[in-house]
Amino acid sequence: MAPPRERAARALNRDAVLETGLADPAWLKARREEAWDLYVATPLPSTRSEEWRYTDVGRLLPLDGLEPNLEGAGGAPDGDLVPGVGGPSRGTVPDGLLRTMAHDPASSGRVVDVDGHVVSVELDAALAAQGVVLCSLREAARSGDPVVEELLATRAVPASEGKFPALNAALWTDGVFLRVPKGVRLDEPIRLSRWVSRPGTATFTRILIVAEEFSQVSFVDEITSPDFESTTLANTAVELFSRGGAQVQYVSLQRMGRGGFYLATQRTLAERDSTLDTLNVALGGSVGRVDLNARLLGPGANSDMLGLYFGDEDQHFDFNTSQDHVAPDAHSDLLYKGALDGSARGVFRGIIRVHEGAQRTDAYQTNRNLILSDDAVATSLPNLEIGADDVRCSHGATVGQLDAESLFYLMSRGLDREQAERLVVLGFLGEVLDRLPLGGVTEKVTRAIRAKLRHLHG
Amino acid sequence: MNDRPILSVTGLSARVADEDPDILKGVNLAIRPGEIHAIMGPNGSGKSTLAKVISGHPGYEATAGAVVYQGEDLLEMEPDERAQAGVFIAFQYPVAIPGVSIANFLRTALQARLEDGEELDLFEFQELLMERMELLQMDPSFVQRSLNDGFSGGEKKRNEILQMAVLNPTLAVMDETDSGLDIDALKVVAHGVNALKAENPAMSVLLITHYQRMLNYITPDVVHVMVKGRIVESGGPEVALGLEEQGYEKYRRAQVA
Repeated sequence: MAPPRERAARALNRDAVLETGLADPAWLKARREEAWDLYVATPLPSTRSEEWRYTDVGRLLPLDGLEPNLEGAGGAPDGDLVPGVGGPSRGTVPDGLLRTMAHDPASSGRVVDVDGHVVSVELDAALAAQGVVLCSLREAARSGDPVVEELLATRAVPASEGKFPALNAALWTDGVFLRVPKGVRLDEPIRLSRWVSRPGTATFTRILIVAEEFSQVSFVDEITSPDFESTTLANTAVELFSRGGAQVQYVSLQRMGRGGFYLATQRTLAERDSTLDTLNVALGGSVGRVDLNARLLGPGANSDMLGLYFGDEDQHFDFNTSQDHVAPDAHSDLLYKGALDGSARGVFRGIIRVHEGAQRTDAYQTNRNLILSDDAVATSLPNLEIGADDVRCSHGATVGQLDAESLFYLMSRGLDREQAERLVVLGFLGEVLDRLPLGGVTEKVTRAIRAKLRHLHG
Repeated sequence: MNDRPILSVTGLSARVADEDPDILKGVNLAIRPGEIHAIMGPNGSGKSTLAKVISGHPGYEATAGAVVYQGEDLLEMEPDERAQAGVFIAFQYPVAIPGVSIANFLRTALQARLEDGEELDLFEFQELLMERMELLQMDPSFVQRSLNDGFSGGEKKRNEILQMAVLNPTLAVMDETDSGLDIDALKVVAHGVNALKAENPAMSVLLITHYQRMLNYITPDVVHVMVKGRIVESGGPEVALGLEEQGYEKYRRAQVA
């Protein structure tokens, strides 16, 4: 028998699950262990399955070699953080993240997360007084908030959802819990600024947002990192609940460095007369995969689902979306637009499912791709599954190149070819941002796109 | 004014790229600084092909002859180089570019003229834009709209002239700018062109038109008649008036003969 080793490098295993959950309440420990069992029992998605056909996760993601970013690892802070106290400061927040945050305009609140650990939480005092809760998810789970126990990894993104949701439910270290009480409306977005610093690690984050009746909130989830030599995973589970008449906007800005592997499962549950809009922006990382399921659970519910991706070099973005119309008289409208340069790959797979009885559904789905180089590839697979007879549904997909007439027109005014291309690409992608004007998001994304466009065909 | 032509077209034949036959069949034309020339002709005579060839449109190619602009071989220049050198074409059918606002586009175009490292003064640009829109009786919100996206025919034409007014060319080619404009819009556009001309008397203009009516408001120095790819007559404004009365029939017959 081999001698017992000194504390080995952590890996994605049961020990890590137990260690992560050490200070958790019993229900959460149990949930983690169940999730781990599910993870072990669930085969890794292969390219033989329809949903993973174009993303060979077994080849792209060396799960066995990843080290989980557990609490206390790699300089992440130990100890408790008191919600609402202490802003981000030099020392606890890396410079790269501070630079990103410097471009943010006003916020109603902000959370900073480094390597899967919340390092600061700020919330407008007036909102806190109105009962808005914004805190580290870990703190929320430990504090015994019944809403967290009821909704965490149960109705929206449970472990049973798949291999990666199970892994996340077992190993999540922290994240955000946001609850907006009935009728409370936030003027400015809540911003989550995430930073991943350690190459070769796996970070597991969860976001749980509950907007009570007739409340209104927008949430911007931005993740950035340096470039990594080795594959570095950021796995995120996003659970969004809008109660009757509430309005919620969730924006994900994925701006990781190269080597980053972004894997997100998002589910939105929109109840009667509520609005639950999402925007997924993928600009960074080497691989980005987002599984988004919007469920329209009550009449009058509405979800605008927007996506924007711009890949260059060998970036690979894969979006798997579904619009589930469970209730009648609901509306969903999806628009995903992508530009692909270099040898980048874009995959969009979307399905509208109109459930039996969901009469008078209005559901739309559009995916448009702009190919900027000979080696870039876009795959677009829109789909419909209609179980009711009185519905209005449409889907459409295009993959096209830059229009020669447009480029000529701009060049005839003195722009050189690259300036003309940049303008057309920016205009093409900008349509998505125009649909969801949210404090600072358009400017920030436009700036990031411009920076990428400077290296067009590079 | 000096006598050296700013644009000289000699023996120019041209066609749609890779498609026989030639549409232009040996065009000769010389425009001097400050002159306004009009080219009139029936549909299909090759007027717009000439504008496209001068603009450098990749869908057209010269098969013979030369186009010299300010002493340089224009046909060897890229479309953007032509624009940078002061050539402007107001297109007959300008293309729509969603998501690119007129203001952003014009700012980029002016910035493109500056040396590397030089920055356009945004305040001055805004002033210029506002002043030009006033000249053309346009609503200030117009420039926030996407380029030609959902524009009416008249809006597209005005947008072309707005660009011309902002970019202040040395040679402006107006390709059937009058078509699709009602008489009030035509007057506004013509007034704008005249005002630009008054500001910059050295600007040369080549007006391409099917009808005489534009020439009631912009007085040409020279009028050319183009039929079947050739200029068949050149003269003063009286040539246009003659066309108004008699049409193109006599030129057609002359060619057949």
